[in-house]
Amino acid sequence: MTTLQLKNIVKRYKSQAVLDDLSLDVANGERLVLFGPSGSGKTVLLRLIAGVIEPDGGRVLIGGEDMTDVDAEHRGLGMAFQNFALFPHMSAFDNIASALTSRKSSRDTIAAGVHKVAKLLKIDHVLSHHPKALSNGQKQRTALARALVGSPPLLLLDDPLRNVDAKLRFEMRLELPRLLAAQGATVIYVTQDYKEAMALGDRIAVMAHGRIRQIGTPAEIYNAPADIEIARLFGDPTINLLDVMPQRGPDGVFVELSDMRLRLPGFGAQIVEKQCVLGLRPETIAFAEASAHGAIPVTVEAETPLNEKTVTLALTVRGREILVSRPAGTPGPVAGPAHIAVDGRAAFLFDKATGQRILPSELASKRNGEAA
Amino acid sequence: MASVTHSSPRGSRFRISKRALPYVLSLPALLVCIGILIPFFTAVIYSFQRYRLSQPWARQFNWGENYLNFFTDPGFWNTLKISLLYAGVTVTLELLLGLGIALLLQRRSTVNNFISIMLLLPLMTAPALAALMWKLMTNPGFGILSYLASLVGLENFRWASSPDTALLTVVLVDIWVYTPFIMILLLAGLRSLPTQPFEAAALDGVPRSFVFFRITLPMLTPYILTATLFRLLDSIQQFDIIYAMTQGGPGDTLTVFQVEAYLNFFQSTNVGRSAALLIILWAITYALSNIFIKNWLRLRERARGEA
Amino acid sequence: METTSPVERLLRGVALTLVVVFFMFPIVWIFLMSFQTNETILRIPPSVVFTPTLENYAALITGKLQTASGTLDIAFMRNLGNSVLLSVASVALALVLGVPAAYAFARHKFRGSEDIAFTLLSFRFAPPLLVLLPLTQYFQWLGLSNTYFGLIWIYQLICLPLILWIVRGYFEDISADVEYAYRIAGHSWFSTFRKIALPLAGPGIAAAGLLAFIFAWNNFVFALVLASADKQPVTVGALAFVTASGIQYGQIAAAIVLSITPTLALALYAQRYLVEGLSLGAVKG
Repeated sequence: MTTLQLKNIVKRYKSQAVLDDLSLDVANGERLVLFGPSGSGKTVLLRLIAGVIEPDGGRVLIGGEDMTDVDAEHRGLGMAFQNFALFPHMSAFDNIASALTSRKSSRDTIAAGVHKVAKLLKIDHVLSHHPKALSNGQKQRTALARALVGSPPLLLLDDPLRNVDAKLRFEMRLELPRLLAAQGATVIYVTQDYKEAMALGDRIAVMAHGRIRQIGTPAEIYNAPADIEIARLFGDPTINLLDVMPQRGPDGVFVELSDMRLRLPGFGAQIVEKQCVLGLRPETIAFAEASAHGAIPVTVEAETPLNEKTVTLALTVRGREILVSRPAGTPGPVAGPAHIAVDGRAAFLFDKATGQRILPSELASKRNGEAA
Repeated sequence: MASVTHSSPRGSRFRISKRALPYVLSLPALLVCIGILIPFFTAVIYSFQRYRLSQPWARQFNWGENYLNFFTDPGFWNTLKISLLYAGVTVTLELLLGLGIALLLQRRSTVNNFISIMLLLPLMTAPALAALMWKLMTNPGFGILSYLASLVGLENFRWASSPDTALLTVVLVDIWVYTPFIMILLLAGLRSLPTQPFEAAALDGVPRSFVFFRITLPMLTPYILTATLFRLLDSIQQFDIIYAMTQGGPGDTLTVFQVEAYLNFFQSTNVGRSAALLIILWAITYALSNIFIKNWLRLRERARGEA
Repeated sequence: METTSPVERLLRGVALTLVVVFFMFPIVWIFLMSFQTNETILRIPPSVVFTPTLENYAALITGKLQTASGTLDIAFMRNLGNSVLLSVASVALALVLGVPAAYAFARHKFRGSEDIAFTLLSFRFAPPLLVLLPLTQYFQWLGLSNTYFGLIWIYQLICLPLILWIVRGYFEDISADVEYAYRIAGHSWFSTFRKIALPLAGPGIAAAGLLAFIFAWNNFVFALVLASADKQPVTVGALAFVTASGIQYGQIAAAIVLSITPTLALALYAQRYLVEGLSLGAVKG
């Protein structure tokens, strides 16, 4: 059963489309991350689902029911805001309890509910404080508690970790999935942080310019990005993007890197002589012996050790930059000439003109077969 | 899921009320104001009529005659002259004085803050009562100001009772009441200015007159404009002080627009002329307030942004 | 700026003293006068040395004025009562009408909202007599002449624009998300207005109310045109009192003191908000 269905949603501000014919289905119990740069319409979409702003066109279905014309207070969902949006004149307790007081529950029931969720979020000791007296982390947890306390079937989280410091964000990124799983609610989570998106989402919907550019599991988004922009947004260090023009060789299509031929298995003649962009994830590149098959000569420029990995900046013969990532502690060249090995199967190829990814022929024909 | 199940009819009823809500909320205020707009239009009609309360039977439209008569009416030119003079003199003096005081009080200190609060008191005094206070102080018999004038050789200085000094006296009262208005606006403006330009100028040893004319004044301009226009709009319509002090006298010395219109209406019962005078005054204030609102809106945006 | 020479400091001190003397002297002088008998007032040269007396106030409060030619009734306490009634009722009505409208203007940018808001604002700047003179006739037809109701209605001309514009600014300062959060928590727009918007804009509403009170109290021309003696507030009443009592200067001074004390006290209390209120939100204090 789908908990949320959006059908052809349109929202304009001053005749500029913020959401442009957007449709989306979210399954019961699913955690969907809305990911995209600021201005892509994520926040507007979330508010529209919550019912505090109205769409100019399209329908919002929640639990199979058309809720487009239903006011926010009758939609029965929970929402946490990026800026917390706590009620400054109420204690943390009253802030959280506000989601229960509208239900005419007894005072004891409300208190029990608030204390339960406060304990879960480790803010039970500050319930009597007003927001002004809370730390940023406590404010954020209070806002989360307010969204969770009514056990809403649909939970909207608008970049809740945006305004907390890095350490806290890291902790919460670990804690949130457990918390949300315990709730059993369907969650729509907005973020601009790809790691958060990968860590929290069952599926990720990548938004840009009021449309969903790609929707899929984190692995799908990472391993099969729909276009250059998405490939660039996911991954750290950023994917290597090199302008190439594929050529036909005796054993298939290839591109040139440092005057060496990199074979692109699976690609057909349709890409030959076409302006393309080659996408290579830094972790799919490895340093290799000069004698290795297909080894590409490079010059190592600099090495940046990060905690769990080491990132090396290398230059091809023609001076193009390539980042290579390897697990920390594994040996590699520090400077000077070296060779890299690239797995052509892990390479992405994008149409330079449209930015769209070009699928290998067999995959493409398989997809076409599915579609038919 | 119980809380999310609602029948659609209920939803659509909510939608209608949602659309209507802002109108419903502002309707009562609007109704009250419409009641105020009606007399405004009535006044426009009066101004095109020959209408004397003493001769109601002779009431008829004379179209532009009330206005045309003004051209040859020395009383009207006197009114226009006095009104503009009064507004010009009071606003100029109050602006200079207010700016001076604001600069004196600019630095935040206990004494300065205390003085700036004390200076609010004249502004919060009803102008009509302020006029009475000054009337008591300028009484020829026992007024302290008359006494002080005699000390400096101005024997028998008659203040508001003499045509020569009546304007001076009411201007003095106006300055007493309204200078604090300009002062607190400019003080708020001065204190909200960014400090970096001044620190930089001080480091570079820029002369203070240069700092004042090239940095302070330009940055303060929006505040000065707002305060000036606010005052100009009020001052050209001044009624309370003049009426309470002299009823427009002696003679026609102080018959500014509103005083003249009031006297026309209630004493000479010439409703047509009274209305025409007020329409001309309204046209002046309308033009001024249009300039004013534009400038004021900009300032308001900024105040919101800084909040 | 920090390096001020002693000469400059002296000049500043002198200038400030002159300023304080000029603006404070009338209030102080009238205050002193109100505690003097006519004999001490009429002394030449004037002196600040006198035995204070409360008889001026006693005369005003009892409403009986002892003069050489006999006892005179003074209605000044009635004027004072009228001022209180008119100001309080006008502000209350303006709040009831203005606060919801201010909320509508701040939160819902509906069709024509800006035009309406500006029309209201323009009332602040139109010549009051333009409306008042025709209104005398309408009031006669409607039977509102010389009624509190009529006066309170027309006092909205002073109070409503003030409240609308100041309170609107305070509502605009409340983050929309905070209200959204309350709605999503399951509360209707009305309870959101009551429990979130009103308390958060509370200080602004209070300040606007106080200012509106001061302006209503200080108004002169409305009541001069529309009210007869029994409905007149102190501003008009004091003027009539001067004419009636002639040479009872002590009582006049006492009447002025009684008339200006409420607004001065409120102004001191609300001084933090005055800048914002006086400029209709254009300048933040």
